[in-house]
Amino acid sequence: MIPAGFPRSIAIALLRFAIWIAPHDTLDWGRGMLSELNHVEGNWSALFWSLGSAGVLAKHALVALIFPRANPSIGPSAGDLFSKERPMRKPALAVIASCVVASLLLFLLPVVRQAFRVSLAQWNHILHVQAPFTRQSDAVLKDLLRQAERNHDAEALAFVALRTSGSESARLADEAVRLDPNLTWVYAAAGTFYRPSFAAGRVSALEQCDPQNALPHLIVAERIDLEQVDSKKIPRSAEEEPAGWREAMARAFQSPELDTYLDRQKRLDRRVLARYHVEDPFQAVSYEHWYGLPSYASQDSSLYAELLIKSGESLEARGDRKAALAKYLAVARFGEVMGADRGFFMRRELKDAYTRLEALSQLEGNKAEAALYAGLAGQLDKTWESQLASWRNSYRGSDVTHWNSLLVRLSGLLILFFASLLALCVIGVMIRSHSVKLTSLRSSVLTLTLAFSSAVGVLLSSAVLFVSYWPYSHALQRFVSAGDEFGLAELSSFLGNSQLPLGSGLRIGSWYVEVSNVVFYFWFAVAILCVLALLLAILRHFQTRPRASIPA
Amino acid sequence: MKTPRLSPQTLRLLERFIERPTAWRYGYELSRETGLKSGTLYPILMRLAKYSLLETKWVATEDGVPPRHTYRLTPNGVELVRATFAGERSALKVRRPAFSGGKA
Repeated sequence: MIPAGFPRSIAIALLRFAIWIAPHDTLDWGRGMLSELNHVEGNWSALFWSLGSAGVLAKHALVALIFPRANPSIGPSAGDLFSKERPMRKPALAVIASCVVASLLLFLLPVVRQAFRVSLAQWNHILHVQAPFTRQSDAVLKDLLRQAERNHDAEALAFVALRTSGSESARLADEAVRLDPNLTWVYAAAGTFYRPSFAAGRVSALEQCDPQNALPHLIVAERIDLEQVDSKKIPRSAEEEPAGWREAMARAFQSPELDTYLDRQKRLDRRVLARYHVEDPFQAVSYEHWYGLPSYASQDSSLYAELLIKSGESLEARGDRKAALAKYLAVARFGEVMGADRGFFMRRELKDAYTRLEALSQLEGNKAEAALYAGLAGQLDKTWESQLASWRNSYRGSDVTHWNSLLVRLSGLLILFFASLLALCVIGVMIRSHSVKLTSLRSSVLTLTLAFSSAVGVLLSSAVLFVSYWPYSHALQRFVSAGDEFGLAELSSFLGNSQLPLGSGLRIGSWYVEVSNVVFYFWFAVAILCVLALLLAILRHFQTRPRASIPA
Repeated sequence: MKTPRLSPQTLRLLERFIERPTAWRYGYELSRETGLKSGTLYPILMRLAKYSLLETKWVATEDGVPPRHTYRLTPNGVELVRATFAGERSALKVRRPAFSGGKA
């Protein structure tokens, strides 16, 4: 049960507080409101009286924070927003200047500059400056290339070769290998990604350098595939493939190991990033979701495994179990060489091979081997399911990463918006005041409020940008300085999300907003400007509206 | 002379003042007579005072009760209000035929 006098006590306390925060020139009015409270009938009425009065004083307190009082008795009214230009108050200017200086200081931090660049990555695709998710050369790479060529730095040349395409990639890889023959593996890493530019000579060099590796043979098979695609003769089965392809795949299946050189590439990247102080995170994690094989390797492996199994079947039908066993074992062994992550695409053939090996072992009366193959076949599904889930999680990133990516993109946009608004306000005030001297500057409440809000907005957006990006910058630093890969997958997901323009993937009615729908962004910006113009028009209307008629 | 914007609420308040131009009025009394809440009444009073159309004074009441803030129109305020009301009435007279079947 509320005591009867409680609302009145609250009313008095509220009004006293409002008087305490109110500017000096409204003290008389505040005290007048308080004294009237003694005469208001009813405790609840007193509370409502106090609420209204406190609101008036609070508004004056708020306005006084921003604007000087030309007339000490009264603050500006809403109608003065456009018409009254007054000298700018020092505290307001101080707050604006402090926010701008604090924002600039934040931008002195490399983390914030890096975060801002990341936040702008979304525009590359909208404006068709640069396609996302590719290794297109950009200013960072061009600059690095200049330094690498000047220093004859083989590793830096290899670094750029791995991130460029076509003949330029081949030229740089050749130059890197010439300077340091230990970098021959670069042919594979670059060749698997940008295969058309690579001639057989480079693959031969790779084979001689690493004869145990299946990768050069997979590259050869892929080159044959590409030649067939170019001549529009796409084989539907391994039998339709040319002899060269079958020979390359046979050698791949006989190879004892498969090294995609991702580890070597990471080590090289770390050294180059640290040596040249490259702060572009996109260069550091460009391979995170790349499984390291040539594009056609999974399909080729699957086709060749199928060919071996068919061959084994026919051998089995002819009673040559030993030869059939060798075929099935070749498939199983290559599946193991590829590993759980890369063997994903030939899982059907691998399971088939294990099942046939189990059956053959049963026929031979070798129950232990049969049980082993049965167990291996049974494990495949579970292994692949967990591998798939791991890939999915790694690719999508956590919810926190999604949110951080959104915040970074939004903060970057807001920084641009508020900074532009602030610049417009400053230019506008200078033009209208015909001066650049602080003491001569005069502005309307609207201009000052906009400038004040923009300055605070720039600072807040910069702070949010810093806080949202800092964990990823830290992960990048740990990778470059100590080789710690923890957090690198999240960084990669974060950067992937950051390249998606805000609002992309949205469905508005029947209109699906695609990643590259620049038209949507144009009309969205037009709509926002129209709404702002409407609001300004309404404010002007209230300022200049006709006066009311007197009742007769 | 600068004048404030005369909203319907301001006019309602001025009507009360003009009834007894020389009398000092209390805030709560004005609120009851005009039906304006304190959040509407005081900004109008403050604006009128800003344009020197209203004067304020503290008056002592009975013992133990704090003095009250009182208000009345200045001569300028009285003059402006009378002129405004006169103008608006004549405007109404001119306008009326258009909306009342031609009777002036």
